[in-house]
Amino acid sequence: MRNVAATILVFLGGFAIMVLEIIGARYLAKDFGGSFYVWISQIGVILIALALGYYVGGALADRWRRVSFLAWLLVPAGVITWFIPNFAGGLIDAIISRHPTDRDIPLVWQKLDPALGSSLIFLLPCFGLATLAPYMIRLVATRMSHVGKISGLMIAASTVGSIAGVFISGYVLIDQMTVTNIFRATGALTVILGITCFFMDSLFVEINSGAVHCNDGRQI
Amino acid sequence: MISLVNGVIAWPLIAATLLLKFSVSYGGTVFEAASPYHNIRVVDQGNVRTLSFDGTMETRMSLQDPLKGHFEYTEYFHMPWLWNGQITNVLMMGLGGASAQRAYAHYYPDIWVETVEIDPVVFKVATNYFNFKPAATQRVHISDGRVFLRRTEAKYDAIIMDAYAKNRYGSFIPYHLATKEFFQLAAERLTTNGVIAYNVIGTLQGWRADILGSIYRTMKSVFPQVYFFPATDSLNVVLVGTKSEKKVGLPTLLQKASDLIQTKRVTMPTFRSRVYAFKSEPPLSYSRSLLLADDFAPVDGLLSGAK
Repeated sequence: MRNVAATILVFLGGFAIMVLEIIGARYLAKDFGGSFYVWISQIGVILIALALGYYVGGALADRWRRVSFLAWLLVPAGVITWFIPNFAGGLIDAIISRHPTDRDIPLVWQKLDPALGSSLIFLLPCFGLATLAPYMIRLVATRMSHVGKISGLMIAASTVGSIAGVFISGYVLIDQMTVTNIFRATGALTVILGITCFFMDSLFVEINSGAVHCNDGRQI
Repeated sequence: MISLVNGVIAWPLIAATLLLKFSVSYGGTVFEAASPYHNIRVVDQGNVRTLSFDGTMETRMSLQDPLKGHFEYTEYFHMPWLWNGQITNVLMMGLGGASAQRAYAHYYPDIWVETVEIDPVVFKVATNYFNFKPAATQRVHISDGRVFLRRTEAKYDAIIMDAYAKNRYGSFIPYHLATKEFFQLAAERLTTNGVIAYNVIGTLQGWRADILGSIYRTMKSVFPQVYFFPATDSLNVVLVGTKSEKKVGLPTLLQKASDLIQTKRVTMPTFRSRVYAFKSEPPLSYSRSLLLADDFAPVDGLLSGAK
């Protein structure tokens, strides 16, 4: 049951990350243009968010071995995502309008401005979502002898969620929903993930006792 | 950037395409490079030089006379004169092999032409291989079209859009150059009698009518009048949007064309005959077409669905 719940949460987290990446690239193109560099920045920035989220998520999981702690990461991530259509326009405008209008934007800024925009908008939400997978590995892996299988399961679930996020965004969402509503829905999903985690401590409580067994050495 | 030819064109072009493919394998390639945007190739075959992006022809040019050999649709970029006989400056989006830029430099040497091209390699190719000469009246900005339009403080008498890419998987439309917000921005950058000419790949009946219908509907939401000039040698349709509220018909335009030719304001030999391509009826798919907006512009779905 724990494994199933963790797998679903991690799957949905991976899904939300890639919806933000794909729809985000589309969103940025409206202001930064359809340039190659928009995709480069979006992919690069999301990977930075993932690396940070994995590292910090794993460290926090060791420190706070309660699933409810994830609410503190996911709810803010979801709230930020929900409000992207409200605050992103102004941020992007500030980035673009700092260049004098009487000459072309220097090539180096044509390359870096989209990365700046991506970071300001998408780094935090994706960072929050990325903490899910390592956190769950720590909570679900009760015995050292299972860590390989559990971490494999969580990483695979996250990646399968991301795969679904890519194709569903590109093939379905962009044709059926407004960009604003896609951000709102992804934000709502992330908040729901956070709230779910907040009330799931009881489901994961045995794990802590499992960890005790582990420390006792009886399981090893 | 682009445009071009597909299945149902004239036989000579099909033959030329086959020859092009042949020559690609067996020499005749004078330049080849991969830019961040395209695989670019310049091929000479007999007297014809072609530019291709990702294997699809963008531009043709006669090596003997650079003012010949171009695709017919580029001549519809001269149609804005019919609505504004006082054009002094023009903004072009998309350079490609510079067919339109060369023609403007030749036929209207006094007109100021600014071109926005996203790909710096295309600019080099146009200069080195397609007889494009940056001059006092011909400037090129390396930038995305919408970003440029948003930042510029200039106003233009005409805006000419040729920013489509195409490969064997179909057309690619940069969605941010096809939304209501984009056309509003373009209208703001046009002078009072300003005209926009917009190249779309499609036909007024049937094939790919959905994207054409959507772009028509979207343009019509901003410009009071929108007309069509479908090309006969390719699937290109040039949409012309005017800030003028007045609806005009073919007889009026032919009269204007005669005036422009008589006063030598327009000297392109084929100008008058091209006016006959004029159509004012909306495409068949208009009533079920979508209004494209920044927030909702499923251009990729429209393109694949209408294929």
